[in-house]
Amino acid sequence: MQGLASYVLRRLLLVPLVLFVVSVVTFALGRYAPSDYVEIQAGPRARPETIERIREERGLNDPIYEQYARYVSNFVQGDFGESVRYRGVDVEDVILPRLWVTLQYNAVVLVLTFAIGIPVGTWAALRRGTWMDPFSIGTLVLFASVPVLVSVPLLQWLFAVKLGWLPTGGWHERNILGVEIGILSKQAILPIGALTLVGVAGIARYMRSQVLDVLDQDYVRTARAKGLNEAPVVIRHVVRNALLPIATLVAFDLAGLFTGALILETLLGIPGIGLYAFESISSRDYDSIMAIVLLGALVFQLAMLAVDIAYGFIDPRIRLSAEARR
Amino acid sequence: METRRLVLTLTGIAVALIVVLGGLTIALLATGGGDDDATSGDGATEDGDAEPTPQLPERVEGELRLFGADPITLDPACASDADSAEYIVEIFSGLVSFDRNLKVIPDIAQSYDVSPDGKVYTFHLRNNVIFHDGSRRVVADDFKFSIERALNPDTQSTVGEVYLDDIAGADEFIAGSATEVSGIKALNDDTLEITIKEPIVYFLDKLTYPTSYVVDRREVGDATCFEGADWTLSPNGTGPFKMKDWVLGERIELEANPGFHLDPKPSLQQVTYLLAGGSALVMYENDEIDITGVGVNDIDRIRDSNEPLNAEYQTGGTMDTSYIGFNTVEPPFDDVRVRQALAMATDRQLVSETVLKDLAIPATGVLPPGIPGYNENLEGLPFDPEAARALLDEAGGPALFEDVTLLTSGQGAAPSEALAAITALWEENLGVSIPIEQEEFGIFLRDIDQGNFTMFSLGWIADYPDPQNFLEIKLHSESADNETFYSNPEVDNLLNQARTSADEAERIRLYQEAEELIIEDAPWVPLFHGQYNALVKPYVNDFLLPPFVIPRLRYVSIER
Repeated sequence: MQGLASYVLRRLLLVPLVLFVVSVVTFALGRYAPSDYVEIQAGPRARPETIERIREERGLNDPIYEQYARYVSNFVQGDFGESVRYRGVDVEDVILPRLWVTLQYNAVVLVLTFAIGIPVGTWAALRRGTWMDPFSIGTLVLFASVPVLVSVPLLQWLFAVKLGWLPTGGWHERNILGVEIGILSKQAILPIGALTLVGVAGIARYMRSQVLDVLDQDYVRTARAKGLNEAPVVIRHVVRNALLPIATLVAFDLAGLFTGALILETLLGIPGIGLYAFESISSRDYDSIMAIVLLGALVFQLAMLAVDIAYGFIDPRIRLSAEARR
Repeated sequence: METRRLVLTLTGIAVALIVVLGGLTIALLATGGGDDDATSGDGATEDGDAEPTPQLPERVEGELRLFGADPITLDPACASDADSAEYIVEIFSGLVSFDRNLKVIPDIAQSYDVSPDGKVYTFHLRNNVIFHDGSRRVVADDFKFSIERALNPDTQSTVGEVYLDDIAGADEFIAGSATEVSGIKALNDDTLEITIKEPIVYFLDKLTYPTSYVVDRREVGDATCFEGADWTLSPNGTGPFKMKDWVLGERIELEANPGFHLDPKPSLQQVTYLLAGGSALVMYENDEIDITGVGVNDIDRIRDSNEPLNAEYQTGGTMDTSYIGFNTVEPPFDDVRVRQALAMATDRQLVSETVLKDLAIPATGVLPPGIPGYNENLEGLPFDPEAARALLDEAGGPALFEDVTLLTSGQGAAPSEALAAITALWEENLGVSIPIEQEEFGIFLRDIDQGNFTMFSLGWIADYPDPQNFLEIKLHSESADNETFYSNPEVDNLLNQARTSADEAERIRLYQEAEELIIEDAPWVPLFHGQYNALVKPYVNDFLLPPFVIPRLRYVSIER
């Protein structure tokens, strides 16, 4: 356990370093990209000399290291800047509500994808050689192959316009025990459904191939030879071992919780972080871009760390490097 | 032990699944509430007239729902885009504004006098204009504060001087050599006197723009366009509607200001803008919004007289002109023959009919219909491929076009179909192949600004219905917005005369003469004038589709 603590500590020490590198690169990319928010939002009537004057006043003409130093100094004091796309609003006040929206629907999609993908994949593998295997996987792959750009309008047409069961889009949060929850509204069904349809196939296919691998293993044969019933064999020996590699997928998906789906959010009018990331890039909302990227980098690292730790618990063959080196 | 843990894990997943699915079902039933019979099948009819599914809390009485976007800013001094102005003109108000007939009317001013030399405007303010919070009335000094604030460089407005530097003393104030604008005097609470440098006749038109609108100085303080702007989230205005609630990225709710000082007072109780995007036409069909625009992809369907939506279709001019601009100081377009050749090889009529499905009107001149001085009889350069080819051959032939690209702004994979059609026409008629280069909007603006182009495609929309707004701003050799570097002393001379001419007929004549010279010189190939195409629900009355932003919601009523 002491090994684990020092391992986690060392990994956590790396986090600021990575964030620093990411922030430098993002900052430089933003500032060196042509144009800036003053020019983009100036409107067609504005005079070039006015734009230049405002640029100067806002420090956009200063050397980039000075601008970066100013940003970092504000950042460490907890000032993440004011949005220029939503003037008058602090960056965190724009980003956090949108992040919350994206996080909610992504979390449900994550649970659903694995909850459906794992049993279906296992089931298909156990029925290899019958028509049910290619049929089930094939159907899922068919859904996964339809891009959101196509499936969402179709779902909208069917469930909203034709059947009238669901609204065409939007996002409606209501206060449940003090928390604004959006996934319990009808508006959440279309996005969650559309993304789950896309996601399940991947998990199911992966699970299927893992199960097939495991079924060929000696220990499964041994278990069967011992005369165990099929159910314990499958649950105890097959599924458990097949699940190990799936943990990595969970990690990537965890990091992805904070990544909004731009097209989905656009089509369905969901005020999530994907839409905002796009908006803030087009309007050169520098401080928002920085905050979104840094937050993404932080979450990704923490998710990876969580997986590495979880691996040690799940799979006895893998021990954290600190212990292994002893 | 092991088995038990696994069984537990799997059970856990199953429980999660049941909880989530069950939760969704319960939510579905809960929100479905009263309109359960929508699911019986009868509720959904063939024509898409499905049971409405509210996206938001129940509609209140007299509520209009619109598709919208978050404004960049609600600070009148700072707004430079139409999206922001759309909200500002409803929440704030100024000395004068446009009415439904696009005539300038006194607004917070009750009346105004103009001195005989056309330079001094005396505004007599109404004494009953109260800020939304009910705290106090608007006095002349509020206008002095608001206009000076917009002009003040510290405010960092990109449009302040564009709209207001005709006022005497503005230049000295901006330069910092004066502490106030000498041309703005609050004579007493009810009287504001504004002196302008030159007797321009479109000064009142410029005052209709939000830049000069009155703001509450106690609320605004020393906020600039970029910093301390949080007051704009719940602004204290004087307009026909008040800000009720603004949930970023989700919705803006305006409520009627019953004490509004002009008639008609707002009839709507509430206007809700849905900001999160989505598919507007589908939302309209599903009764989630009351008005939607119609794009070129849906227009055939809407125009079909068998389509139920056809009865809700409305259209109107937008007072804009799209055009191809040339860099007139660099080869090959420094040669007027080359420019004329391209103009004469452009069959606008054909493009309008086929690609644009008549959603746009072919343009022969610079001025769009609706602008005074719009010349219906202007023939422009005719479509004449043979003459065009002869001109081009005379100037040096298709070889001239080696380094020419048509610059346009866009983010999609394919450029606009209209532009693709036009370049195809050039290829067919002149044998020149001009690639279209798309640039992201910001980069495009910078390249145009710096003259870093051979030719480009752009549009210009009226701020106010005056020919000056097009001809002088875009084509006077000294105008900052003249991106083609076009310079013709004769045209400059005509435009200078027209700017201050007090005789309306004479003024129009001068502008029309200038326009003819410009078309002959072909710094632009005018392409099309746009059109609004919208669907308006039958229960919405008097929803105007004006060519530019005007306060329009107070005319709207709902009759269910």
